[in-house]
Amino acid sequence: MDTKYIEPFIEATINVFREFYKEEPILRSPFLFDKEENLGWDLSAVIGIAGETKGVVSISFPKNLIIQLTEKLVGHEIDSLNDDVIDSTGEIVNIIAGNAKKGLEQYRLVISLPSIVEGPDHKIAWPTSSMPIITIPFDTSLGPFHLSVGLEDIIK
Amino acid sequence: MKILVVDDSRIMRTIVKNSLLQNNSALYSFLEADNGVDAFNILEREHVDLLLVDWNMPHLNGLDLVKELRILPKYKNLPIIMITSEAAKYNVIEAVKAGVNDYLVKPVDDKKLLLKIEQVMSIN
Repeated sequence: MDTKYIEPFIEATINVFREFYKEEPILRSPFLFDKEENLGWDLSAVIGIAGETKGVVSISFPKNLIIQLTEKLVGHEIDSLNDDVIDSTGEIVNIIAGNAKKGLEQYRLVISLPSIVEGPDHKIAWPTSSMPIITIPFDTSLGPFHLSVGLEDIIK
Repeated sequence: MKILVVDDSRIMRTIVKNSLLQNNSALYSFLEADNGVDAFNILEREHVDLLLVDWNMPHLNGLDLVKELRILPKYKNLPIIMITSEAAKYNVIEAVKAGVNDYLVKPVDDKKLLLKIEQVMSIN
């Protein structure tokens, strides 16, 4: 696995969590994601990448973690995956993908608007091509989350 | 100072507004839009001193909004700061060519935002 190209995404994720949530996410070992596998997440935000390559970036959370993180932003209690939670999750993946482009400037990339996938133990319909998806696990003081990245012909 | 904050994320609009209000709540008043089309319509009917605009939005994105505004003489000198996740240098160059006065990458630092606003408003 060539992990050089996932470093900008890792750096962007840590920076976003630090600035947005005042959290210091701890990086765990990235792994090649089995597209048929469910990992027990409740909410994911997915963003498409186009331009000089095609790809996808997603961030996936358990319900309790994303609710607690969103509470930090809005300053009041939240009891469900409401519009604020969905809004903030889409914004996070947008910021991570946009910031990561800085580390991939040799490719001119365009990012899409985020899509949200919600539901207990949901599955994301990843591109069916041979594009491998690298999943990067992080721990926070409030619980774990995953960032997943696939970039055609770049991450091999 | 009347500021139009344009971002498809309500939370981001609130974060931007709060960071300015914390600094000087008496100085700023705000209008909001969640896409470029609504922003354009607000500009057509309201006086706005400063436009803070995101790039990636539905209907009309921030870059295209800026291009359309700069074509029109009445918006030629409207101060515009783009606040976006698009961090690549080629994005910054594209936005400056389109006519933004300044550019900030999300997540935005409060002090940086204030400084950019002061700089842009003093020039204009």
